[in-house]
Amino acid sequence: MGFGDQLAQYVISGLTTGAVYALVALGFCLIYNATRVVNFAQGDFLSLGGLMAYSLLIGAGLPMALAFPLAIVAVALVGALLERMAIRPARSRQVMVLIFITIAASILMRGIFKHLWGKQALALPPLSPETPLRLLGATFTPQNLWVLAITLVAIVALIWFFNRTLTGKAMRATAINSSAAALMGIDAHRMTMYSFALAGALGALAGVLITPITSLSYNVGVIIGLKGFAAAVLGGYGSFLGAVVGGLVLGLIESLTAGLISSVYKDAVAFVVLLLVLFLRPGGLLGVKGGNRV
Amino acid sequence: MSAQGKKFFGYLAALAAVLALLPLVVTNPYYLNVLNVVALNVLVVTGLNLLIGYAGQISLGHAAFFGLGAYISGILSGSYGWEPWTALLAAAVVVAVVALIIGLPTLRLEGNYLVMATLGFNLIVSVLMVQLDDITGGPSGYTGIPSLSFFGAPIASDISFYWLAWGAVLVGLILARNLVHSRVGRGLKALHEAPLAAAASGVPIEAYKVKVFIISAVYASVAGSLYAHYYGIITPATFDIFKSVELVTMCIVGGMGSLWGGLFGAALLTPMPQLLAVVEEYKDIFFGGILLVLLIFLPQGLVGWLEGKRVRPGGRAF
Amino acid sequence: MSALLTIKGLSVRFGGVQALSAMDMEAPAGAITALIGPNGAGKTTAINCVSGVVAPDAGRVSFDGQEVLGLAGHKLACLGLTRTFQNLQVFGLMNALENVMVGMHAASRGGFAAAMLRLPLLRREEKAIRERAEEMLSFFGLEKLAHQPAEELAYGDQKRLELARALAGRPRLMLLDEPVAGLNAAETHEIGGLIVKIKEQGIGVVLVEHDMGLVMHVSDQVAVLSGGVLIAQGTPEEIQQDPEVLRTYLGGGEEFGLVA
Repeated sequence: MGFGDQLAQYVISGLTTGAVYALVALGFCLIYNATRVVNFAQGDFLSLGGLMAYSLLIGAGLPMALAFPLAIVAVALVGALLERMAIRPARSRQVMVLIFITIAASILMRGIFKHLWGKQALALPPLSPETPLRLLGATFTPQNLWVLAITLVAIVALIWFFNRTLTGKAMRATAINSSAAALMGIDAHRMTMYSFALAGALGALAGVLITPITSLSYNVGVIIGLKGFAAAVLGGYGSFLGAVVGGLVLGLIESLTAGLISSVYKDAVAFVVLLLVLFLRPGGLLGVKGGNRV
Repeated sequence: MSAQGKKFFGYLAALAAVLALLPLVVTNPYYLNVLNVVALNVLVVTGLNLLIGYAGQISLGHAAFFGLGAYISGILSGSYGWEPWTALLAAAVVVAVVALIIGLPTLRLEGNYLVMATLGFNLIVSVLMVQLDDITGGPSGYTGIPSLSFFGAPIASDISFYWLAWGAVLVGLILARNLVHSRVGRGLKALHEAPLAAAASGVPIEAYKVKVFIISAVYASVAGSLYAHYYGIITPATFDIFKSVELVTMCIVGGMGSLWGGLFGAALLTPMPQLLAVVEEYKDIFFGGILLVLLIFLPQGLVGWLEGKRVRPGGRAF
Repeated sequence: MSALLTIKGLSVRFGGVQALSAMDMEAPAGAITALIGPNGAGKTTAINCVSGVVAPDAGRVSFDGQEVLGLAGHKLACLGLTRTFQNLQVFGLMNALENVMVGMHAASRGGFAAAMLRLPLLRREEKAIRERAEEMLSFFGLEKLAHQPAEELAYGDQKRLELARALAGRPRLMLLDEPVAGLNAAETHEIGGLIVKIKEQGIGVVLVEHDMGLVMHVSDQVAVLSGGVLIAQGTPEEIQQDPEVLRTYLGGGEEFGLVA
């Protein structure tokens, strides 16, 4: 395999994981815009998506076309529940406390997943049979294509939702100025709950897409979640377009450094990128300006 | 001495008395060991509290500072034959410089950029501890770290380390208390509550945030070095991001902005995993659940709650 | 009287709004200079530029002959320039005494190491800070509230607390942004008296205010801003006669408190 073929290979796999990072980063964004909170349970939404899909598909024997969407809906409900049961009743609205509530929820969720699904690695089948395809000298699986295509569809659907539906517009209004939105009769709590639900759905989608490629276990989402967070910062925290660009760029950087330099530090690359962004361009790639100075 | 000072030193004397008597009751090495780990956590959390409770910034990288303190001190004395106390000081200096490098660009910015940077930093440090196995011993850990000594007598037993660790806690608490009740401490509280007014009063906001971050990192480094010389073996898993989360959790559960809160939080949460070992299967569920309930209903922390502190629903402060 | 504070050609643009255009103003030491103008005239913007909160697009600001634009906010307090805020900026959870003690920050030196080790220098300094803060609280009639958290004080008391904090470090010039906004007539009168007393200590005051009764009563000099342009500067009497000022304040008689 020549260098060009290798490069094409790295690009394909980088874009695939990058797309998943983008979905996770979008989830971070949604909740951040609604509450200013970094939701550290975002990675657990991803784990739960994969685990639910596994149980519905293998355990309950449902067809894929039913099991996967059901898993996504279920995690969306869990997201809404997190808002309703832990964030909304919190007696302090301080961002710091709310962030740690999501961390506590993450520990709790992982404990529950471990209890229900065990510690062992599970396997989720890909969306279609594994016949390798070839393009520009790169070999890839249909799952790579599925990930990219479905991520694209999800992004288009999100754009449509936020620009064309009343609920989507109400959510944007709440994110911009929740008290003004409340004066216009928008129920801000409900909009925040929707943000959590949507973030849950995006996380679950990422889980259903990526776990056939990586592996599936009760804590698979932790590290992917943190990388999704790095992607969100890279793109410009809170920006939707930034989340997508940040995810793809991060996936590419990771795959190229692992392939061309060394895979030993693969898991550190994302966080080195995170630090560099914060030091050099804290507003992110798409940020208009660096973070405000005091 | 002011009324506040009298109260603090009264509590401190009571704590010292309890600590002096405790070894008469607790002779089981296992429980002594738990008390020693509590002491090290209290030390880290005391420093962390200065950052979180007084300057209003979160760090999710304090396990990395703790770990750097442990590894640098351990390796310098274990592989290069440095005198352990010198190694401990050298580690503290290195950690101070690292904290400066991380703090300077991120604390300049408004908002919680420090939390993101320290999170990334901790993850990188964890990877390095595993991957630089020629130096660090890799995933199985670094062994053969010599004990600290006191005028030639090694501090190796659980009981001798008990005196050292809790002695360090008392010193750490006094230093932190002095800082809090000073011009600088008032400046820190002020910059957290109303930055514009603090600056207009002459408080150098950026410099203070960076300095308090460095001090809190040094507290962690010293605790880490003590840990390394006590156990003689250190492994990367001890210093991962979950340890950082645990440390901040101790701070919040105990009560942010209260030095006694850090003590309570660490004393309560350190033995929690052991206590929950009886329900091994449900350990994380219990731990996460308890934490969740405390954060939702007692965000002012246990000490804040005992003092009858109101919860400020909005606002930046605690 | 030579000018302590000199503003020259100060211009600020926020998006499409020209908040200040080429504003000139001078404030002497030991005198009260009022800065007045309709809402949106740019008064607070001017104060924010001087105190380093807003970076202007053009212009110069010098304090006692030294260029101060671009200096970090805390350095101004060290030079002897302090301010209060239109929207209250007290340190809510700290008590009144501690709030004023923060005001002594620029006038004291003890750093982190001295504080942690409680060096003798620091103890002496701490005592002096506390005494000065107590003196300030009595000066502003707040001594009974010394140990109350600032956020629990009445609005008028919080206003006076800000004045106490700004005065504590013995500044040479104080910028007061609407110190009597929202206060009743009696409180306004009382604060007016205190501002005059501050001046009598040789401290220069720049007073941004809407209360024309107070402005005309206490000021030595009045500067008038309108639409970001300085349209007049002079004694209160001259300003009250100035035709352009009267045009700006339609029906200005009432506004200037001439009726009362």
